[in-house]
Amino acid sequence: MRNLLDFLKEYYHWLLFVFLEVVSGFLLFQFNNYQGSVWFSSANSAMGKIYEWSSGVTKFLTLSEVNEQLTRRNLMLEQQVEMLGRRYTQLTHDSTTMERNEMKFLSQYELIPAKVIDNPLNSKENLMTIDKGSADGVAVDMGVACGNGVVGVVYLVSRHYSVVIPVLNATSSRISCAIRNRGSFGYLHWYGGDPSVAYVEDVPRHAKFKLGEWVVTSGFSSIFPSGVSVGKIEQAYNSRDGLSYKLMIRLSTDFTNLRDVVVISDKSIAERAALLQAARDSISKK
Amino acid sequence: MARLVNRLVMVVVLLFVQVLVLNHVWLLNVATPLLYVYFAITFPRNTPKGEVLAWCFFFGLIIDTFSNTPGLAAGTLTLIGMIQTYLLELFVPRDSAENLETSAATLGWGKFSTLSGILTLIYCLVFFILEAFNFFDWQLWLLRAVCSAALTLLMMLAIESVRSK
Repeated sequence: MRNLLDFLKEYYHWLLFVFLEVVSGFLLFQFNNYQGSVWFSSANSAMGKIYEWSSGVTKFLTLSEVNEQLTRRNLMLEQQVEMLGRRYTQLTHDSTTMERNEMKFLSQYELIPAKVIDNPLNSKENLMTIDKGSADGVAVDMGVACGNGVVGVVYLVSRHYSVVIPVLNATSSRISCAIRNRGSFGYLHWYGGDPSVAYVEDVPRHAKFKLGEWVVTSGFSSIFPSGVSVGKIEQAYNSRDGLSYKLMIRLSTDFTNLRDVVVISDKSIAERAALLQAARDSISKK
Repeated sequence: MARLVNRLVMVVVLLFVQVLVLNHVWLLNVATPLLYVYFAITFPRNTPKGEVLAWCFFFGLIIDTFSNTPGLAAGTLTLIGMIQTYLLELFVPRDSAENLETSAATLGWGKFSTLSGILTLIYCLVFFILEAFNFFDWQLWLLRAVCSAALTLLMMLAIESVRSK
């Protein structure tokens, strides 16, 4: 017994070492999937507060650049609206339907403006934190976009903060997209490395496209409405099994300088989910 | 008591520097300085081993909480704390004090750089191998670990040169 106590006294640090490593290993493998890890992540509101202060400072410093970008984007959109409006009136000889359609489209998607407070880009499984949570109407699986294009999907929500899986998350991010005006669709996938380049996979062999054409969201899921910009096609490859194309695209969203985003809260999601559930129930009864 | 305060100040300063500044550095898409290893390297000689391990684990856990990587820094930093207590013995000069401070001033520049170089390199190798667990690309891993270690070491020596004056 005495020997045992002496032994423990002499070598207790090894036991402690093994114990701490086991705890770390447990945390590493258990929580790195981020399920139920609100406490140990930046959705925790104390951490969120500190990140908010720090991003307040950096935001102020990059304000002029963001302003310039917004102005440019605004100008481009104005031109586009004017051009489309002119074309529409030309085709239909009716200048009021355009306005009505636009209002209808917008009322379907409620937008919640939010600020990015933490946006690391240095791993392959990046996660982004934004400063709006369930209290502001954000819920899991809502789409997040910015003035330049798609950003990601809400993954974890606390009262005042949310964690978003951005496009730049190699394991978890899969956004359904399509080639603008052509309709062939595929899945957006990022492999790590350059934060401005991603790939669209599973594009069917019969799809027609040109380099430099735009890829947009397909609208097949209820996360994003169709037509939100994703990026421009830069190069096309064959997939490994040769059954489909893999497109290299340059993302239109600049993730290295992202401050203001909007969460798209689609009111029809609940309705669609309920309808789907009802359909499943009626099939299983038969 | 003074040492406890010293440690706590170090925790706060290193935490903020790492989380607010260094975590966002990504030099040439490979190197991220992990300056908080400095915390584990500078434990004085003959600090009780259990104490070193506990400090390292909890400091690592705080870093993890802020960087959304539960267990990663905690586990790796605990490992470094363990190695430090043994490795330091090989570097202390003969007839030196029992509770010798670990710094460039007491060990000499050559020995201190070698000691912190070895520990930082081990840290970066283990850290990035655990982080890249799913996608193993050994060239990228080696590149990231070595570049990050070099950058971290450089910053540490810069801090030492200010402190030793």
